[in-house]
Amino acid sequence: MQFDIDILENSIKNLKRAGMRTVLTLIGVIIGIAAIVSLLSVGQGLNVAVEKQFESLGSNTIFVIPGAQARGLSVIKLTDNDLTQIEGVRGVNSVVPIYGAAAILEYNGKKINIQVSAADAQKSTIFDDTGYFDVAEGRTFVKNDSDAVLIGNKIAYDYFDRQITPKKIVTINQTPFTVVGIMKPQATSFGGGPNTGTSVFMSLEAFNKIAKNVSPSIIFVKTDSGNDVSYAVEQIKEYMDKKYGKKSVMVSGTEELLKQVNSILGVITLVIAGIGGISLIVGGIGIMNAMITAVLERTKEIGLMKALGASNQRILILFVLEAGFIGMIGGIIGILLGYGLSMLIAYLGVSSGFALTAVITPEITIGAMLFALIIGIASGLLPAIRAANLDPVVALRYE
Amino acid sequence: MVVKKEEGVISLKGVSKLYGMGDIEIRALDCVNLTIKENEYVSIMGPSGSGKTTLLDVITTMMKPTMGKVYIEGVETTKMTNSELASFRGKKIGFIFQTFNLMPKLTALENVIEPMWINGVPRAEREPRAIKLLESVGLNDRMKNRPNQLSGGQKQRVAIARALAMNPSIIVADEPTGNLDSKSGVKVMEILRDLHKKEKRTIIVVTHDESIGKQAERRILIRDGQIVSSKGDGKKICQIE
Repeated sequence: MQFDIDILENSIKNLKRAGMRTVLTLIGVIIGIAAIVSLLSVGQGLNVAVEKQFESLGSNTIFVIPGAQARGLSVIKLTDNDLTQIEGVRGVNSVVPIYGAAAILEYNGKKINIQVSAADAQKSTIFDDTGYFDVAEGRTFVKNDSDAVLIGNKIAYDYFDRQITPKKIVTINQTPFTVVGIMKPQATSFGGGPNTGTSVFMSLEAFNKIAKNVSPSIIFVKTDSGNDVSYAVEQIKEYMDKKYGKKSVMVSGTEELLKQVNSILGVITLVIAGIGGISLIVGGIGIMNAMITAVLERTKEIGLMKALGASNQRILILFVLEAGFIGMIGGIIGILLGYGLSMLIAYLGVSSGFALTAVITPEITIGAMLFALIIGIASGLLPAIRAANLDPVVALRYE
Repeated sequence: MVVKKEEGVISLKGVSKLYGMGDIEIRALDCVNLTIKENEYVSIMGPSGSGKTTLLDVITTMMKPTMGKVYIEGVETTKMTNSELASFRGKKIGFIFQTFNLMPKLTALENVIEPMWINGVPRAEREPRAIKLLESVGLNDRMKNRPNQLSGGQKQRVAIARALAMNPSIIVADEPTGNLDSKSGVKVMEILRDLHKKEKRTIIVVTHDESIGKQAERRILIRDGQIVSSKGDGKKICQIE
């Protein structure tokens, strides 16, 4: 029996005896695996975060986003008639257009650029569950509130010398408004939800005071149930394509949008993890180097083992196992370190206001483990073959 | 694998070892016929370059001859695969080297156990057997020492204990006293004598030292790759080239 517990034991013993060399080689593998695992973990976490944000909008939501005209650069202006058309589609429950404009907000003598978004106050209740527009102080705006604005967290606390509190007056495009509420701070998302920190929200009536003839920048369409989504998307798409040209207006259900965002995130994650993978290849080269040196140093020992009765195969297995163990042990430590690192990154991210989480999945864990093992064995194969094929007579007399 | 039962525990028939090609051909061994009987104590002697080391390598199956056959305990080893040879060698032949060849990072005990794990001796037997062997060569109190903590004579005795680990019927020693002072050398030769007389093993010593060589029962002299004188061997039989 060429492969037995003795050969396992002796390969580990040999690694221990090599001391520092084993440790240094291990470090190479550990760094490589930790890099890959931490990047994949954070990347997966991003996916999860985005999914959560989409989930909070509900599976029965459709996004209608006008893009650029087929010819020309101006954004397509959707009309009230378009809204009526959408409302008429079977299964559609409510249609909530959001209007936006860039504006200048002045307070306490200082001006800043802001983004203003407006929606029908009553219809805005579809966002209640999302938590995007939760108020930290004060209250939200109601219908006919032509004077009231909701300001983002950063505008209230960060941008001006003096904090803006409810009941204070700010000027937007030279029109005065009363701040009725300040929004809760939101973690910066990566495609899942709005970044409300630097925005101002108001009712449609208020919006008409500062901007005219604005068409919706995005329309949220709610259907009765999730099942109604695909039909409604089809109908709305057909209408939009016919009227404005193909692909001029994006119409997507939550699921479809989520898929697109996830695939982009997925590609980014893979690319970055791939870069991490390069360091693992370097680690593998380190293993090969260490093993080649080991074979050279142990030439006499290998000759002796053959004299004592070890077959070429046994020598091969011994050295492959040694390299494999470096891969395996480096893999285990690397995975632990990688996850620890990803949790650190997530913690740092969250405290800086980013929606980062670290995710531990069996796929990442098993994948990294296998990868480390394969790199170990593959790197050790060449040196092991060399060792196995050493002429015992020559090897024994090697000085 | 057993072709025919040959007389003697080691038998070489028409063995030649050639190096080089065409015009430049070196015959390290030239048509060697040799039979060593069971429980014989032989010495193989010859000047430097005579081929005695090559002969040793062929006898111990570490090297395959270019021509001819080698039989050990009646089994034709020249036909074996590498795996079979390794296993065979591990169990049948014990090696003692001039430069000891102990594993530097292992203790004396671990060195003696080395052939046991290589050749699959059950775990439970290993340490007791190794301890007994080290005791038999007078190293009871040196078992946990590494080679660099041992004298030359002590190292060679560890090597002898190791050579006996698989209880081989054949012990091969290559200049066993070459790196020892005379006192240790005498001790080592005494042990070899005991292995021959008391334990009835076959002993082969390769040496250039006359005083060592004459301690054997029979001397085999080799020069220029050929056996020049040795009792107990027949006429030259060689394959036609």
